[in-house]
Amino acid sequence: MTASDIETTPMAVKRERRKLFVDVTAYLSPIIIIVVVFVFAPLTIILFYSFLKSGIYGEIIYSFSLDNFRAIWGGGYGRVFLQSIYLAFQTNFFCILIGYPIAYFIAKYGGRWKTLLLFLVIVPSWASYLIRLYALKTIIGSKGLVNTVLINLDLISAPLDILYTPFAVMMGLVYAWLPYMILPIYAAIEGLDPSVLEAATDLGATPVRRFFRVTLPLTKGGLLAGSILVFIPTVGEWLVPQLFGGSKIMMAGSLVALKFTSVGNIPEGSSLAIMLAATLILILYLTIKWGGREAIERML
Amino acid sequence: MKQKHNIVAKLLGGLSLLIYFFLWAPVIVIIVFSFSSNKYGTSWDGFTLNWYAALFNNADVKDALIRSLVIASITVVVSTIIGTITGYGLFKLHFRGKQFLRTSILLPIVFPSVVTGSALLVFFTRFIQIPLGYPSIIIAHIVFSSPLAVFVILGRMQRFDWSWEEAAMDLGATRFRTFWRVTGPMLLPAIAASAMLIFPWSFDDFVITYFVAGIGSTTLPIYVFSQLRFGATPVINTIGTLFVLLTMVALALMYFIQKKNESI
Repeated sequence: MTASDIETTPMAVKRERRKLFVDVTAYLSPIIIIVVVFVFAPLTIILFYSFLKSGIYGEIIYSFSLDNFRAIWGGGYGRVFLQSIYLAFQTNFFCILIGYPIAYFIAKYGGRWKTLLLFLVIVPSWASYLIRLYALKTIIGSKGLVNTVLINLDLISAPLDILYTPFAVMMGLVYAWLPYMILPIYAAIEGLDPSVLEAATDLGATPVRRFFRVTLPLTKGGLLAGSILVFIPTVGEWLVPQLFGGSKIMMAGSLVALKFTSVGNIPEGSSLAIMLAATLILILYLTIKWGGREAIERML
Repeated sequence: MKQKHNIVAKLLGGLSLLIYFFLWAPVIVIIVFSFSSNKYGTSWDGFTLNWYAALFNNADVKDALIRSLVIASITVVVSTIIGTITGYGLFKLHFRGKQFLRTSILLPIVFPSVVTGSALLVFFTRFIQIPLGYPSIIIAHIVFSSPLAVFVILGRMQRFDWSWEEAAMDLGATRFRTFWRVTGPMLLPAIAASAMLIFPWSFDDFVITYFVAGIGSTTLPIYVFSQLRFGATPVINTIGTLFVLLTMVALALMYFIQKKNESI
């Protein structure tokens, strides 16, 4: 094909455009409908409700104000938001601390058992989230397995009160989200070019130095992808704080759920949901800015 | 040098073993206590199969199970169809606003379930009148599942050999025929993978379903939640055990299908 064969007349350009429009409509209209009707529209509606007020019987009072948002910053809700972010940070940190060694072990020493070892990481995470969390709760509870064993070994005299502390909530969060950290890190380590590691050794790097100067920086993408997968859902978690924190430890997600399901105050619930969504979008934006597009692309 | 290598491997192996124990301990507890005759399901009082008998005779469980299966099946079919055509469109077409669309598709995956659930609840009850129950639950599940399917399929498409499709077109196949005979079959593993991912997500989803289910539409996770309020029961342990077994079977199946595809 020569350059003159490519039609550049206005007619042809117009035809091209129309064809593209038809194609986009044909392939993408279902997802566009889903995104516009069932994602953007509901968000816009709760944004609208977040400026309203609720009457004593849960009816909506149509008077616009920023009161709900002021209450989040002024009242105890702001502290709950900060605590959620802090807990999510802690969770993320421990997931990396625990997840990196196991991912490294599977990738480097897994040999022909690799698939099985990965399988053993994934299976628990696909078996009823709710029931597993409840089982973990019973294990660390005052009459649970952990306390029974420790008492029988005479290591402690009275059962430890692990439940309903920030530590218990964090433990539940780590338990629920750990596999989502292990898998991207594993993929990153697996994708390392062995010749780079050999070069480092040949140039005289000790194994420790090689790990910190070569392996870790090269697997940053996996760490970042895992952190997005763990951190973001953790901030908005509801079930884990509900089960492991009771009424003592609340997270941002619990506040939203409380306002909608128990209290029935739609305006306040909406403002909390909007705040939560905005916080997460901001965090995601900063992560992408800081970590580069590559980590996100890898995740997708 | 070799010696050092071994120590690191052993150390990491030991650590990994502990982590595996952490991940599996609750699952093992569920399985063991589902066979224990202790009626609170919290200690070992001897072997019994009574709880399984109780499970299969429980009409509420049966109702909830059927409801969850119906919802998950419809969600899988609709989401993978939407995911396939969307993935294809996003891969093949270049247009203004594509990056924005891709980012928007990510939103339902990124947002916490409480945000998606509450926004959809307000939308369904206050804005458009969609009855709470099957319609609202299925729509909600499709909303969070289709994006997953899109990205699984899109990811697979990036590693494709597209010359097959071009060859089919060059040999005179129509676009539809090309898709049906060439592109579709090539996409089959990706479609299967996304279905295998979405089914458990939909089947196991609690939070979003809890928001939009309304009264009387109890899915299996909601049934489990309502039972857990009164403490653990052995019947819940049997449900958990069956979950684990089904997951293992599904994963094993997926593994063998993949193996078979590779050998062909």
